[in-house]
Amino acid sequence: MKKTVLTVDDSRTMRDMLLMALEDAGYTVIQAVDGVDGLETLAAKGADVVITDINMPRMDGFGFIEGMRADPNHRATPVLVLTTESDAEKKARARAAGATGWIVKPFDPVKLVDAVRRVAA
Amino acid sequence: MDAFEAIKATFFQECDELLAELESKLMLLEQGQTDLETINAVFRAVHSVKGGAGAFGLEALVRFAHVFETLMDELRAGRKPCDPVTIKTLLRASDVLADHIQAAQGLAPPVDEDRSAGLVHELELLTHGGEAPPVVEEDEDDFGFTPMAFDSPLDGPLDGPLAPLGEPEPASEAPSGWRVVFKPHGRMYGSANETGLLLREVGRLGPVTVSLDESTVPNLDLLVAEDGYLTWTLDLAADVDEKAVREVFDFVEADCDLTITPLGGAPETAPAFEDEPAAVLPASDELDIAALLAKAAGAPAEPAPSPVAAAPAEPAPVAAPIAPAAVAAPAVSAPAAAAPQTPPAQAAPVAPAPVTIRVDLDRVDRLINVVGELVIQQAMLSQRVLESGLARSSGIALGLEDLELLTREIQDSVMAIRAQPVKSVFQRMPRLVREVADMVSKQVRLVTAGEDTEVDKTVVERLAEPITHMLRNAIDHGLETPEERVAAGKSAEGTVRLAALHRSGRIVIEIADDGKGINRERVKKIAIDKGLIAPDAALTDEQIDNLIFLPGFSTASVVSDISGRGVGMDVVRRSIQALGGRISISSIPGKGSTFTLSLPLTLAVLDGMVVSAADQILIAPLPAIVESLTPQESDLHYVGGIDPVIRFRDRFLPLIDVAMTMGFRATPVVPSEGVAVVVETEGGQQAALLFDAIQGQRQVVIKSLETNYQQVEGVAAATILGDGRVALILDVDVLVTDMRRKSPRPDFKLAS
Repeated sequence: MKKTVLTVDDSRTMRDMLLMALEDAGYTVIQAVDGVDGLETLAAKGADVVITDINMPRMDGFGFIEGMRADPNHRATPVLVLTTESDAEKKARARAAGATGWIVKPFDPVKLVDAVRRVAA
Repeated sequence: MDAFEAIKATFFQECDELLAELESKLMLLEQGQTDLETINAVFRAVHSVKGGAGAFGLEALVRFAHVFETLMDELRAGRKPCDPVTIKTLLRASDVLADHIQAAQGLAPPVDEDRSAGLVHELELLTHGGEAPPVVEEDEDDFGFTPMAFDSPLDGPLDGPLAPLGEPEPASEAPSGWRVVFKPHGRMYGSANETGLLLREVGRLGPVTVSLDESTVPNLDLLVAEDGYLTWTLDLAADVDEKAVREVFDFVEADCDLTITPLGGAPETAPAFEDEPAAVLPASDELDIAALLAKAAGAPAEPAPSPVAAAPAEPAPVAAPIAPAAVAAPAVSAPAAAAPQTPPAQAAPVAPAPVTIRVDLDRVDRLINVVGELVIQQAMLSQRVLESGLARSSGIALGLEDLELLTREIQDSVMAIRAQPVKSVFQRMPRLVREVADMVSKQVRLVTAGEDTEVDKTVVERLAEPITHMLRNAIDHGLETPEERVAAGKSAEGTVRLAALHRSGRIVIEIADDGKGINRERVKKIAIDKGLIAPDAALTDEQIDNLIFLPGFSTASVVSDISGRGVGMDVVRRSIQALGGRISISSIPGKGSTFTLSLPLTLAVLDGMVVSAADQILIAPLPAIVESLTPQESDLHYVGGIDPVIRFRDRFLPLIDVAMTMGFRATPVVPSEGVAVVVETEGGQQAALLFDAIQGQRQVVIKSLETNYQQVEGVAAATILGDGRVALILDVDVLVTDMRRKSPRPDFKLAS
C-alpha cells in the first residue's frame, strides 16, 4: 500500500521539492503550511510519516511535534524534522519535542527518501 | 520546463514575496516595533531564502543569507540588542540580499564583491559583538555526524566477546564485520523510533545475526510498558564503514546505549549465522518483526515495549508518553524548557495562505474584452427595447434591468481579477529612498499609506517608474540638508509621504515632502532664461509651479545623477498621461510640495452622463458631476464682458461652452438654451460645463484613444454607444483647468 507523507513547511519551494522527491519515490504526499495547519491536516487525513520544518509562522515545528505527541492517535507517528542547522542543540531540542529524526537541508532526494524509509513502519 | 526548473521558478517567486515581507518587517523594526514576533518573521524570511537557495546550489546567495540569518538568530535569542544601528545594517543587508537574488536569477550582474563582503563583515561584527569574527565560519556539515563518547557505561550483561570500549577502531582496519550492542531507552519509543526498523536498516547493510538479552525484563507487576529493558546484540557480517553502521542509529544515539565494535574477523561468530538461518536478516525491505521479536524474546508474557503494537491496543497510558521522558533525561530538559518560548499560535497574526490559482494573463484579458462587448451589447439591447415603445413595466424591460445588474456584477468581478494592490510598487520604494538619501547625505523617513489600494495590473506596473522618479526628485530637490532643516527650525530628518487612495473612481497617488517647497522666483527666472515664457508673463503661483513640467526644464543648478538630466518631470507627466492620468502639484514655500497623480482605476469601464454638444455625443464622467441645471439669464454674468460665469449656491463658477472649447463650433450658444453641468475637478475646483442637452446616464466601456488614434486634449478616451456610434469621454480636469485658460486667450504662452 502506498504510504502517506505529510509535509509541513511554510515555504512553497520547499513543499514543492519535497513533493517531487517523495512522489517520485512512490509516496502519497499531503501538505500543510504551518504547525496549526499541520495538526488540522493530520487530524483530518492522517499520515504514516510526517516531515516538518522548524521555523514557521503561527506554530513552529517544535510546537507542532509536541501537539502531535499529545494526541493519542499520532504519538507513535514518526516525525522527521527539516533543518538547515545541523548543530547538536537543534537536534536535541527536536528530539526533546518528540521528533523521530531529522533531515538536513538542503536535502538530497535520495537521502530524504532514505530517511523516510528508515522511520516508516 | 522540467519539474526542477518549475520549482526553481516558484522559488524566485517566493523570494519576491519573502523580500517584501522582509522589507515590511524591517520597517516595523525601524519604527520601534522590536517584538519577538517581528524579529522572528525577519529571521524566517531570510531562513527560507537560504533554505531554497541551498536546494538549488546558489552558493553566493546561501553564504550571504547565512551570515544574515546568524545575526537574526542572535537578535531572536536576545543575545544582541535590536538597536537602530543594527536595524540600519539589516536594512542595507536586505538590499544586498535582494541583489543576490536578482543575480541568482540572472536578472542582474553578480553582486559587487566588495559591497557584499563589506556587509558580511558588518553583520559578523554585530553578530560577534566587537570581537574579531571567528577565523573560518564553519560551514554546514551536511548530514552532520560527529562521533560521540558514551558517558553511560553499558549496564546489563553482554554476551559474546566484546572489544574493550576504550579502543578506538578506525575503519582502515577493514574489519570483516561489526558488533553492535544496542539498548534502547524508553525515550526512544516516545519519539516513534522503532527497534524493529533499526534492525531492518542494519539488515540492509549485510547479513545480521541478532541475539537478545531479556534478562533485565522485570516481573509483570513491575514492568513499565513504555520503558526499555532489552539489549540487542547485532553481528553484522559485512565489510562496511563504521560510519554507515552508526548512521543507522543517528536518530537514536542519544536515546540508547550503543556500542559499535569491529568483529575483527572473529571466526567463531561466522558459523553462528549458518546455524541459525532464521535469524539472518535478509537485506530487504520486508521483515517479519513480530516473528523476530517472538523468537528473540523467547516469548515473554509481555510484548516488547513497542508503541507500534502498544499504542493502538492499549489507550490507557496515553497521558504518560512524553512527560516521563522529559524527566528521565535531565540532559535534554533545559532545551525542552526553552521550547515554549516561541509563542505557539497566538491570535493568528498570519493567516494561512489563501488558495490561489495561476492563470495566464491573456485569458483574463480575453475575458475582459468579451465582457466589455457584453456591456455594449446589453446597452444596445436596452436602447432597442426603449425605441420599440414597450412599457417600462413590461416583462422584457424588467428582465433587461436584471440583465444590466448581472452584467455589471460580472464586469466588477472580472475587473477584480486584474486588480492588484499597489503594495508591490510601494515596497520597492524604501530601498530607493535609503539609497538616494545616502547619496545626497540627507536624512529621510519614508511614510507610506494605502498600500492595499487596488488598481488594474497594468496601471500598477506602469506606476513604478514615475513614482521612482518623483521620490528621487522629492529627496534631491525638495528636501533640505539636515543643517538647513535645523536652521529652518525643522527636525533634521525630512519626511516623504507616499500614499495611494481611491477618489471618485480613480486612484490617486500622492507624493509629499516637508521640504523647502518650490522656489517660484527661481523657477520663473529659469523659465524666462530658457525662453519658455515671456519675460513679462503674469503667472499665478500655480502656473509657475506647473512650469517644471515643461520639456527641458531643470531647477538643479548642478545636474545630479539622481534626478536624471532635468528631463524628469516632463517625462513623468507624459508617462502618466499615457495611462490616462494627470499630475498636479501644490507647493507651500518652506513647508514642502505635494505631487498628486490621478489615474483611472481600470482601463475598462466608466459611469458616465451622455450629453450632446453641437451634434456630438459626449460622455461626462459621472463621479466628477455635482449637479446639472438650466442656466437662468439672471444668474449669468460676464467677466470683462467676455468670460461667462454662473451663480451657483452663492458662488460664481466659470461657465465653459464645451462645444466651442472643443472646437465643434465657432460661436458660443446662448447659455439659457443649453444645460449647465456643474463639475468638480480632483483639485476641488468647480466649474460649469455648458452642453446642448443631457441624453441620459449609462455605463460605458472605455476604448483608449491613444492606442487607436492619438491623445486629444480634453478627451480622456472614447466609447461605443448602444447604437454603435462613437462618443468621446471628456477629461473634465483638463477642460476646466487648462483649456479654459487657453481658448479665450489663444496667445497665452503657457502651452501645456
